[in-house]
Amino acid sequence: MSIPLLETRALSRHYPGGVRALDEVDLRIGKGEFVAIVGRSGSGKSTFLNIVGGLDAPSGGSVSIHGRMLDYSDRRALIAFRRQMVGFVFQQFNLIPSLTASENVEYPLLFNYRPPAERQEKARQLLAMVGLGDRASHYPGQLSGGEQQRVAIARALVADSPLILADEPTGNLDSQTSEGIFSLLQRLNRERQVTLLVVTHERELASYADRTVEMRDGRVVA
Amino acid sequence: MNSRLAEFFQLAVRQLFRRKFRVILTIAGIAIGVAALVGTVALGEGIRTQAVDAIRTQSDLTLIEALPGAQGNILQLVTPTRAAAAGALPGVKASAPVVRGTFATRGQTYVQVVGVPADGLEDVLHPTYLRGSGFLSGSNEVVLGAALGEKLQRYEGVRIGDPLILIRRSYDAQGRPFDEETTVIPVGVMEERGDAFDQVLLMDLDLAIGLGEGESGYSGLLIRAEGPDRVFSVAEGVRGIGLSPRGSFEQIEAVNRMMDMVVIFLGIFAGLSLLVGGLMIASTMITSVYERTREIGIAMAVGASEGDVMEMILAECAVLGFIGGMAGDLLGVLFATVLNALGGPFLASRFGDAFAGLLDTEIALVTWPLLTAGLLLAVGLSLLAGLYPAWKASRLNPVEAIRSGR
Repeated sequence: MSIPLLETRALSRHYPGGVRALDEVDLRIGKGEFVAIVGRSGSGKSTFLNIVGGLDAPSGGSVSIHGRMLDYSDRRALIAFRRQMVGFVFQQFNLIPSLTASENVEYPLLFNYRPPAERQEKARQLLAMVGLGDRASHYPGQLSGGEQQRVAIARALVADSPLILADEPTGNLDSQTSEGIFSLLQRLNRERQVTLLVVTHERELASYADRTVEMRDGRVVA
Repeated sequence: MNSRLAEFFQLAVRQLFRRKFRVILTIAGIAIGVAALVGTVALGEGIRTQAVDAIRTQSDLTLIEALPGAQGNILQLVTPTRAAAAGALPGVKASAPVVRGTFATRGQTYVQVVGVPADGLEDVLHPTYLRGSGFLSGSNEVVLGAALGEKLQRYEGVRIGDPLILIRRSYDAQGRPFDEETTVIPVGVMEERGDAFDQVLLMDLDLAIGLGEGESGYSGLLIRAEGPDRVFSVAEGVRGIGLSPRGSFEQIEAVNRMMDMVVIFLGIFAGLSLLVGGLMIASTMITSVYERTREIGIAMAVGASEGDVMEMILAECAVLGFIGGMAGDLLGVLFATVLNALGGPFLASRFGDAFAGLLDTEIALVTWPLLTAGLLLAVGLSLLAGLYPAWKASRLNPVEAIRSGR
């Protein structure tokens, strides 16, 4: 098998008091795959996503992207990794309320030292792609939950990161809107060949993915 | 400024706009501190300028007299070598050696005599004559200071051209006193100068030496500086060759020393209010960082480095400081304007003619360097106050920050 985009080996995360949020997780995700991670609350899904995204550090094991192991002790390398390799979509949307939809989308590029004109053009294209071309100048407070999550998806794509991590992206949305979001994610995966790793607790929505991974008590069980 | 920093400033303004009321209070705190500082220093500088101008107009500022000085315990006399060295100092327009002595008239008026070369009298003292003219070199002609001339005319009837007998008391080998008389001819009376030369009788240097003065070297050296701006450097040069400079510039030095103390003392109190403004910024920014914990976490998740987070927070502090500093400068200018408009007439009405001159002058002097310093101080202090909140924000754990719900 060729080198996977993402590979974790014996990935563990222990908290004080003996809590094992992750317990030796081995997972390989190929380039362009759409993988859903399902499991109950507290199964370690979000912890896994945060460690793979470079937001949290593991207690043991390793994470490799394109065959290169991520060094969690190197802060600069972690920042560069977050800037170039991953895009995040959160359950709470997490848009900046004082920025418009367009400015929220281009926000990550501000830290990538891209010129404003390039950022604005990219934000415009992505907002059009997620169906919000006419809402670019709206503030998050003026958008519905589904629209805000679409803006967040556009933001995750803006840096052309090969890996998009979504943590319960429909957790705050009604079922119809949730279908729309997963349908959008599926389309992006197919059209743009982005690799998607989506955490959800709704098995029906997980069916949009190419593959489903189930976690329980910090372990991959299926 | 690079474009990214400019964008951080734009973001900072928008972030501050979200918390208008708190931000306005913080800016008011900074502004009052800056205004207090600008107002205090402007008042001090105004008074300093008034005093210095008064000294300049009422006295002969560019005239310096170099007297024997002391280096350690050794007296440094005004020798011809030192006189030549002083005359060659940069900024010296002209110089002339002088000898001094005390004589009496027959009417028992004590007269301070200054011997100076005839050309030195004209080149260094720049005398203007109420009556008559200057003395000729090698003659027994003398020139009277304005006050002495009037005194001798009033009490002894001395007139221009009339012989005047000067008596010098000496002591013989046995210590017995004896008087020597010399006849001189007053040929001119100087106009009032407002300095010690109003009280003296000026004669040719050689005549004074012939009368027994200057046996142990010159009494001093009169120096004319090229301009008011050169006086202090010339005085330093005179000190450098071991002599002691005297003149009305000393009054300016004394005023400057006193006003430095006053301005520093008042500035400390004004600075305290600015410090309070700084603490308000620190408090505002700590609260702001607390309230925006999640936003900071999001910024980190999408690629902001610790340095980026610090820059963003410090940009907000700089904006607060800049607006506070500008407002403070405006308040300071307003304070000075009101003081200049109302303060002079008020003092004049309370204390009478002594302060009448203040009616047309500026009591408080606001200068561009002062306003710039006020602004820079406000921005600098704001950045300093923001360092801790910015550092704290940059050390947030992104996962916990995003989960915080704030």
